[in-house]
Amino acid sequence: MTTPVQAATTEVLEPAAAGSKTRGRRARVHAYQLLCVVLVLLLWGAVTVSGLFTASSLPSPASVATEWLHLLGAPVFWQAVWDTLRGALVGLLFAGAVGVPLGLVTGTYAAAELSSRILVDFLRSFPVIALLPVFLLVLGSTPEMKSTVVFIACVFPIFLQAQYGARSVPPMISETVRAYRIPRLLRYTKVVLPSATPSIMTGLRLAATTSILVAIGVEILTTLPGIGHEVTQHQQNGNSAVAFGYIFTAGLLGYGINRGSMLLESILLRWRPPAHTV
Amino acid sequence: MSRTFLVSALNQLWLPVLVIVLLWVGTAGSTNFYFPPFGDMVGAMGANLAHGGLLEDLWFSLKNILAGLGLAIVVGVLAGLIIGEHRRLRESLGPVLDFARATPTVAFVPVIILTLGIGATPKIFLIFLGSLWPILLNTISGVEGINPAVLETARSYRIPWQLRLRRVILPGATPQIVAGVRVALSVAVVLMVVSEIYGSPVGLGNFILRSGSSFAVTDTWGGTLLIGLLGYGLSVVLLAVEHVLLGWYFQRPPRVRRNTQGLALLEREALTR
Repeated sequence: MTTPVQAATTEVLEPAAAGSKTRGRRARVHAYQLLCVVLVLLLWGAVTVSGLFTASSLPSPASVATEWLHLLGAPVFWQAVWDTLRGALVGLLFAGAVGVPLGLVTGTYAAAELSSRILVDFLRSFPVIALLPVFLLVLGSTPEMKSTVVFIACVFPIFLQAQYGARSVPPMISETVRAYRIPRLLRYTKVVLPSATPSIMTGLRLAATTSILVAIGVEILTTLPGIGHEVTQHQQNGNSAVAFGYIFTAGLLGYGINRGSMLLESILLRWRPPAHTV
Repeated sequence: MSRTFLVSALNQLWLPVLVIVLLWVGTAGSTNFYFPPFGDMVGAMGANLAHGGLLEDLWFSLKNILAGLGLAIVVGVLAGLIIGEHRRLRESLGPVLDFARATPTVAFVPVIILTLGIGATPKIFLIFLGSLWPILLNTISGVEGINPAVLETARSYRIPWQLRLRRVILPGATPQIVAGVRVALSVAVVLMVVSEIYGSPVGLGNFILRSGSSFAVTDTWGGTLLIGLLGYGLSVVLLAVEHVLLGWYFQRPPRVRRNTQGLALLEREALTR
């Protein structure tokens, strides 16, 4: 096994060969990754064949794959995905619109950050989904209720990351800004916001994953349409392969959102030296 | 020392206290059916805890969280140490583990509860399943992030692997592991609530569902408040554990640490999600 240090030194010693070498290594890594996926699928298949679980609790990978391909052609499926995504996105957008400005402003004043710390900590550790019975009573079972729950779940990670980002402005720069009497609005748009952007992006990424999770959770517990509702319906009717197809879709959504926001992050932060990744 | 502590405590406490007082006084005369007076909510929580069976519900939920989370910590840290130590294994398993973590565990709630029943075991399994991924992935990246110079030194001194594991790898990865447990804790509480609302004869989730569907709104609010206190209490306990385990980490010079504790925690938590 080569350690990173050894790998680094060999690359420095042979700069000409480094390009093809890393390419070969990457191809090998991809091959191993593919092998792992195949192994997991084989293991899953073996477990279902062994009869350890009934087909209703763990369908075979082949049946899930065929059902999933069938789903791709069904308008019901796309409607469910859209319902979940819309609920998650609306909540997320509102959370960003409220959390980012509030976080930036409280982050620039130490007293505000200190005073709100315990309150925010409590609200952040609150499992928002527990508000569901109350919300069902107050707001009823509507798509707006779903977005409201998503909003509450997402606003705190975004708020905290924005606050943290605003505090990361180097003291030298904030002193300079003060010395030049830069107007407050200009200070927020040109100094605080840019230096807080990496942190805000992390917050948005966390919140994006949470938003999907919460939206599906709400759908499972209520009769609101969406991926979670479809999973419940099909599992209750004994079509566990279809239910797993929907779960797989949920996984794809989560994975896609994570990947997408990482890409967006790297594009938005291209101006920044990569040193911030510790 | 004690004076600065007092000032900082006052600085942090005045707003929460003010909010509670405002809620208490402001809603005292509330006649709205859906928003009963705050004092009544707290009263309902106390009364149900004393002789309404809420204590049993609390114990059931707490037990499931601790069992599922404990199991996830044991499995996640062990597997994470093994995977993190082998570069090839780490690289090959990357996409599979990323996908597993990205899959929302709540989607498994109907499948597991409908097939395994409404007892405690399916709930512990769900909590385990949800908490495993953040802990596992954080342990892996914790091991991966140990300074190569440290590992090289351990190797050149031919430190035996047991000692290396106990004195080098595990302490080096602990800050990240604890951050993973913190993420896992919030996942665990959500899964606890969802699985109990979905299908359970007992538990806090079941309590708020039961009281909500029988329109005992004050009880519902009281139960919801208790769940919030449970989540906050668990995260405070974790913070205390963190201080004991990671005292050395926070004692590093300020230049390395860069920020106050709370922020350092948040930063690590954010970086590892």
